[in-house]
Formats: sequence, C-alpha cells, structure tokens
Amino acid sequence: MSNVVPTRELVRLQGLQVKVGQLLVKNKLSDMLKDDLSRLYEALELSVAKLDDLNLQGVPLDSIDSAEMRHDIRNAIGITKGYAELIKDTAEAPSATLSNLLDKIMLWSAKTISTLERTRRKQTDSSLFAMTAIKQQHPDHRGHILILDDEPANRELLSRHIQQLGLETFACATADEAYEVLRSNDIDLILLDLIMPGVSGHQVLADLKASQLWRAIPVIVISGMSDQDEVIKCIQAGADDYLQKPFNKVLLQARLHAGLDRKRWVDKERDLSNELEKSHRFIKNTFGRYLSTEIVSKLLDKPDGLDMGGQLQTVSILMADIRGFTTISESLPPQKVVKVLNNYLGTMADIIMAHDGTVDEFIGDAILALFGAPVAKADDSDRAIACALAMQAEMDAINERNIAEGLPSIRIGIGINTGEVVAGNIGSKKRAKYGVVGHAVNVTSRVEDQTQPGEILVAQSTLDHCSLSLQTGRELRLQPKGVKETISVTAINGIDSHVSNGDDSKNDSKNNAKNDAEHIKSNDTVSNDTRSNNKLANE
Amino acid sequence: MTRILLVEDNEMNRDMLTRRLERKGFTIEAAGDGEEALKKIAASQPDLVLMDMNLPILNGWATCRELRANPATESLPIIALTAHAMAEDEQKARAAGCNDYTTKPIDFPLLLAKIDNLLTA
Repeated sequence: MSNVVPTRELVRLQGLQVKVGQLLVKNKLSDMLKDDLSRLYEALELSVAKLDDLNLQGVPLDSIDSAEMRHDIRNAIGITKGYAELIKDTAEAPSATLSNLLDKIMLWSAKTISTLERTRRKQTDSSLFAMTAIKQQHPDHRGHILILDDEPANRELLSRHIQQLGLETFACATADEAYEVLRSNDIDLILLDLIMPGVSGHQVLADLKASQLWRAIPVIVISGMSDQDEVIKCIQAGADDYLQKPFNKVLLQARLHAGLDRKRWVDKERDLSNELEKSHRFIKNTFGRYLSTEIVSKLLDKPDGLDMGGQLQTVSILMADIRGFTTISESLPPQKVVKVLNNYLGTMADIIMAHDGTVDEFIGDAILALFGAPVAKADDSDRAIACALAMQAEMDAINERNIAEGLPSIRIGIGINTGEVVAGNIGSKKRAKYGVVGHAVNVTSRVEDQTQPGEILVAQSTLDHCSLSLQTGRELRLQPKGVKETISVTAINGIDSHVSNGDDSKNDSKNNAKNDAEHIKSNDTVSNDTRSNNKLANE
Repeated sequence: MTRILLVEDNEMNRDMLTRRLERKGFTIEAAGDGEEALKKIAASQPDLVLMDMNLPILNGWATCRELRANPATESLPIIALTAHAMAEDEQKARAAGCNDYTTKPIDFPLLLAKIDNLLTA
C-alpha cells in the first residue's frame, strides 16, 4: 500500500477513459450530457498524460519531490473528479453503466489524490472523499471530536451526524466529564454548547484557552439563534467558529473540516518544531563534546547548518602529546594510566574549547585540535598559540593533582602549524566524523615530534598569520619526509604583553608592547595563561 | 440571480467550475488573470469572487489587496482557491483580504456552503 506503482493507477485510469469513450460513441445522449462527457474524456486524457510522465520517470505517486509536478497531477485529477461529480449531479436519468462508471472515476480520483498527498499526510485537503480514503487507510487517523452539550437530544443528533463523516465522537454532558475525556484522549476538535447549567460554556472556553495543553484544540461554539452577542464574545475569547441551532448539516461538515484542517496544521507545526529541536539536540550531542558553544550555535544558525561535505580551508592545527608517555604507561597499572589520561585530556579539552578550538581527535595521549574549522576566524593562529600557552600553564595544576592521587607527573610538548586542509565529514555514511585531511596535518605532527617536554614549537606558517608579539626561544629548521623545502620552527615562551583595555591579550599585543616580565618564565614553565589575564582585565 | 466572477487561468478548471456553478443557478463570468479580473469587477460588479491564487500577470494575493484598497470593492466577498491546505496559504489569503478560502481539488458542497455563508452574512 505504501508504494503505489503509477503503472497500476495508470492502467486503471486508461480503462476508465476507454469506457467513457465507448459511451460517447455508442449511446444516444442529450447534447448537454454529450458535451459534459466529452469534457470528462479530455480531463481523463490529461490525467493519463500526467501519470504517464510520472511513470516514464519511474517516480511512485506517493514520493514526488517536485511540488510543481504534484500540483499538475492534483490539478488534472481534480478536474477529472469535478466533471464526474458534475455529470453525476446533473445527468437526467443516467444509465446504470454511466452511473457505475462515474462512481469508479470518483473513487479512483479520491484514492489517487490521497496517495499523492500521503507524502504530506498532515496537509491533506479537506475533501470528504479524501477524508474517507484516509480513514480507510489509516484506521487510527480518525478525527476525535468532543461534544459538550447538556441536552441529550442535541448530543445524540450531533454524534450521529459526525459519526457519519467517519469521525469519532466523545459526548459529554458536563464540563468535568469533558475535562476527563480531554485528559485521557487525543482530541482534535471541541463542539461546545454555550448555555449549560453549572459551569458555563464561556468558563469552559476560558479554561481551555488558558491551558497550555489544550489551547491549540479548535473550539466550535454552538449557540441558539438569539445569542449573537454571546457568539461574538466567544470568538473574541478564542473560539474558532460557531454553529447555530438548528444545525445545518452541510455547514456543520464544512466547519468541522476547517477546524480539523487547522488542528492538522498546528500538529504539523508542532511536529516540525520538535524535529528542529531534535536535530539541534543531535548537533549538540554530536559536536558539543568537541566544539565550543559559540561554534555549535553558529552551526545551528546557518540555514545550511551541517553542510560539511568537504571544504578547502586554512586552519591552524595544534598537536600535543605527553612526552615519554610510553615509558610511563609501561610502569603503571592500566587503571592508573586511564586516570592520568582522563585528568589530562579533560582539562585540555576545556582549555581548547575556551579558546574556540575544535578538539578533532584524542589518539591515546595525543590531542589533535583545530582552529579555523568548522568556522574560520581572523585570529585562528593567535588563539592556537594562546591556547598552547594556556595548556602548558595548566600542567602545574594537573601535576599537583596527579601527585596528590599517587600518579606520576607528566610533561607535554605542543606543535602548531597552519595550512590548507580539506575539512568535512569524513568516513562512511553510517560512521562519519568531522575531521581534516591534508599535508598540513602531517607537518604538524613532525613539528610536534621535535618538542622537548614543556615546549611549544610553532611553524613559520602560523607565525606569518599571527598578530601577537611573542616571546620566542630556540629556532630550528626541519625537513619533514616528502617535503622539498625546509620548515622553520620557533619555540614560543609567552606573549609579549598583556591586556590593558579589556580586550583579549591576543588582540591587543601590537598596540601594547610593554613587556610584562611577571608573565614570562623560563622555557619549561611557560605561564602566560590568557584566561587568567582575561579575568584580571574583566575585573 | 447571484453573479459570481470566477478567476482561474486553467481553461479546464474554469470550464468545469463554470458548468458546476451554473447548474446550481449562479451566473458565472470568468477571468483568466488578475488584471482581467479587476477590469471585469469594475465593469460588472459581481456579488462574489472566486479566485485562484496562482494567476499570471497579477496574482491572486495582489489582486485581492487591490480590491480591498478600493472603496468600491472593499467589502466584495472573495473566496480564495488555493492549491494546498497549507496554513501559510490560508494566512496569506486572509491577510490579503479574502473572506474565506477553499483548497483544490474543490470539495463542491463545501464550496457551495461557503458561498452561501458569505452571501447571507
């Protein structure tokens, strides 16, 4: 049922078209009927042509992506159905054959339209035929109508009418009964009598509209002829429509449909916003652990949000690892190794995120962090360097904790390099991971290999992008494998200035060349913790 | 005799609806686009307008707004015929000044009820 092949629909329709053609040729018809039938024949021809197009493209009727194509088909079938109904309504003494044929065409139209709309079930049109078809296909998709009326005869009459439309009714005599039904059922629409003993219809309406849960349920007010003013009051109080006693069946039908349509839109809107929230939650869960909140919200703000299929991007890559970790891990029981790693990696991830970096990967004791992916900023290099300094500065605290817990103290080396990489979701469809690939990653690894414990080595490519005035140490030239030119690398000991105007020290260094000796220590214990600088500046 | 102007660019749709409404006793005049509709409304002053929204030259929404801006037609009943039951379509039609709307394919008894409702209001 879910995948109707157009061929079947098409064959059936062509059969119907042929029969209409036969009737036109064989039978003696009145001029009016002949004219109507020839229009119906043309409409069938149009529908056949549209379905044939669809068939050629191999698209099932319930999964047409193109709104235009769906519109064309809906239009053709709508015209077909219209002519069939017209003839059915107005033909004088139609033959049994004609009558039968028209019924088949109307049924076919209703079914086909409901298949067509199934992709967008929540937006189904308000035609009674389509409603009936939906009811047959989705037994649980019936509209649930609550009737609140104190008069038994009215309840009875309304229930009967509404049930004839294929809808389910819940008849209540008092407001309390109605609330009970509302609490335990998913109600789509409420028919509310205004004049009732006890709690008045107005009070019920006010209660409903004040309830977070029930506010969205459309309410149709039922009133006697005399209380026009009351009706106006109710509409102002949030009722959606009104019905006058005695009931007009057609009007009741029309208003029920309109109300149910409205409810479907509300449901759809709610579904959509739930979906949106779900996808936001997904993004937060997937990336939240590795990305700063700022970057996550930036991703969520972008209309094309997660289009990270692969982009050539200039990023600053930071790699850090624990020097001599293999030796440490060999001399420790596994549980302690994990504890050392968790102490270290958790703190480092926080620092990286505080500098708007992306933790791309933890590989054992090594960290690969990115500055400039997925979101590029002007100060990517500056933040990478500031982050490295903050990481080294934090090592004292980590080691204090390690020693307190009977764990060995550790020292890390950090390498930074800047270059073009391909950034995107890499991997198979099922297991994709945001990451970067490129030569620049390998170079970073070579730079990092050269570090001594406690040292930060930064490649010239990063320094070229850097606007900070830096305290530098040794300089060396590397010749990584597979690279023709040598890479010059500089040890960084600190940032040459600190905050004077409340901005991050990294943005301000050029203007403020004042050397703050307090913040520069020896090579091993670099301590220009930009975070504590920020804190001072903000105070 | 109630006179209805049917504004619809699709010839088959126009013919089908015209026949159905005429057999219910309405007098139907038809227009194929918004500009033609404005001219015919000014000339013949129909009792009610049935208007498809996706029209060439001047679309249904713009046509509606023009009718509402003109004192002579500011209260002329208009029923919008929209392609699908989308909340935004109804809101758009109502915002443009339509009194009511109905979706395609047209539920004829519903359309008749809506016409009746507007004419007796």
